[in-house]
Amino acid sequence: MRNLVKLSVFLFLVSIALPSQAQRRSKRKANEDTMNWKYEIECMGVGVEGTYLIKVWSYSKKTKVAMAQAKKNAIHGVIFKGFLGGVDGCTSQKPLARNSNLFNERKDYFESFFEDNGKFLQFINATNDGSVPVQDVLKIKKRYYKVGVIVSVNKDQLRKELEKAGIIRGLSSGF
Amino acid sequence: MRKFVIFFCSLLMGTSMMFSQAKKPTIMIVPSDVWCNINGYMMEFDNQGTVVKIPNYKKALQENADLLLVISKINGMMAERGFPLKNMESVMKSLEKNSAEDAMMSSKDSGASASESPIDQLKKVAKADIIMQLTWTVNKTGPRNSITFNLQGLDSYTDKQIATAAGTGAPSTSAEIPLLLEEAILAHIDNFNSTLMTHFEDLFTNGREIVLNLKKWDDWDGDFESEYGEDSEELGVLIEDWLADNTVQGRYSTTDATENMMFFEQVRIPLYYERNGKQRAMDTRRFARGLSKFLKDELKIINKVTTKGLGQATIYLGSK
Repeated sequence: MRNLVKLSVFLFLVSIALPSQAQRRSKRKANEDTMNWKYEIECMGVGVEGTYLIKVWSYSKKTKVAMAQAKKNAIHGVIFKGFLGGVDGCTSQKPLARNSNLFNERKDYFESFFEDNGKFLQFINATNDGSVPVQDVLKIKKRYYKVGVIVSVNKDQLRKELEKAGIIRGLSSGF
Repeated sequence: MRKFVIFFCSLLMGTSMMFSQAKKPTIMIVPSDVWCNINGYMMEFDNQGTVVKIPNYKKALQENADLLLVISKINGMMAERGFPLKNMESVMKSLEKNSAEDAMMSSKDSGASASESPIDQLKKVAKADIIMQLTWTVNKTGPRNSITFNLQGLDSYTDKQIATAAGTGAPSTSAEIPLLLEEAILAHIDNFNSTLMTHFEDLFTNGREIVLNLKKWDDWDGDFESEYGEDSEELGVLIEDWLADNTVQGRYSTTDATENMMFFEQVRIPLYYERNGKQRAMDTRRFARGLSKFLKDELKIINKVTTKGLGQATIYLGSK
């Protein structure tokens, strides 16, 4: 009887620990994907002044993780990747960083900037991560999803922050 | 104590070097000739039998509210980026006002008026170092409207297009033209600024690009083929040697050279020069004065320097 109780407690603890462990693993993998540029961005229209309205497609075994990672990917994409134009009057936008090696050159800054719940969140205006349409959750492999989340990025404030931190040059710097 | 003084002095020098800033180019938005022509803002006059059309900017700015909206919006967004623009309408008003004031101004003692040569009068036009040339057309397909928007950044001196953003927005049946225009500006201004930034980065790396003209007065007895110095080198070659020594990485192109004139393009001048141990911003006038001094001191050729903005200089050889 005593052994049974022990076993039950053990199984209970494992059942709590395993999903959170898996969640952490997925989160770590999602962060790696961000740094490896494994996400896609598409323009969703001309945003209000000072913002970009984009849809970010992120990958993960867990849809929840992919949705949460969309914010980080959006900011990462606006800084380092840019995006293509297309429908709805969208024009292609170049990345804020003009140097492809910028991340490595300013690794200290960006590692702290992109920490979970880090400063990057300040530049997210709004997302639809609470109500992602079914057609934007794509199952691409067994237990592997591609999730599209619409994000509004406050690119003017983001640019100002990077200029202030000396990461990118302002239009008038040097004059 | 001595160490402290040395540290303080080096800190002061470092600070003065660090805060030395290049001359900032001025930018102004100007509607393109195509836009003025399409919208009926052109003046026609007979130039010895040939009808010439020129844009009537004053009329356009007084009558077209959409133009004002676009200029105002772009001005605001550029100011936000720390680069306020010259406002064409204000420049034109200032020119008119200053002209009227100059005409009335006279010396208190002698009654003399301010001296002004015909060339001074010719130079009194609205100008900027970089012109943002603006064109848009409204496309109509049935009930749907769309805007084709084209913004070009043109260097006033080298005539090069240094920045651009162009494209057609999404068609709409409900949005009004001012709204579509606003959307077009929001969609394109970042790309324009990105290409402008590329130009500025090039300027900081390779120096400012200018145009240099050398001419001779017709009463001067020498020319650009006259020989000078112990090596009996032609004047034109000596001038090219000076440019090779004083431009950034010896960059310049001799576009035209005859016995009467020399025309240099893509002359890359440094952004700074040193004076009294301090770095100062170099401009075309300062650079041309260097060549002028060389001609006067080394070759005993009296000359006159005139400049146009940040990017064009002409040196006349023979007299002032």
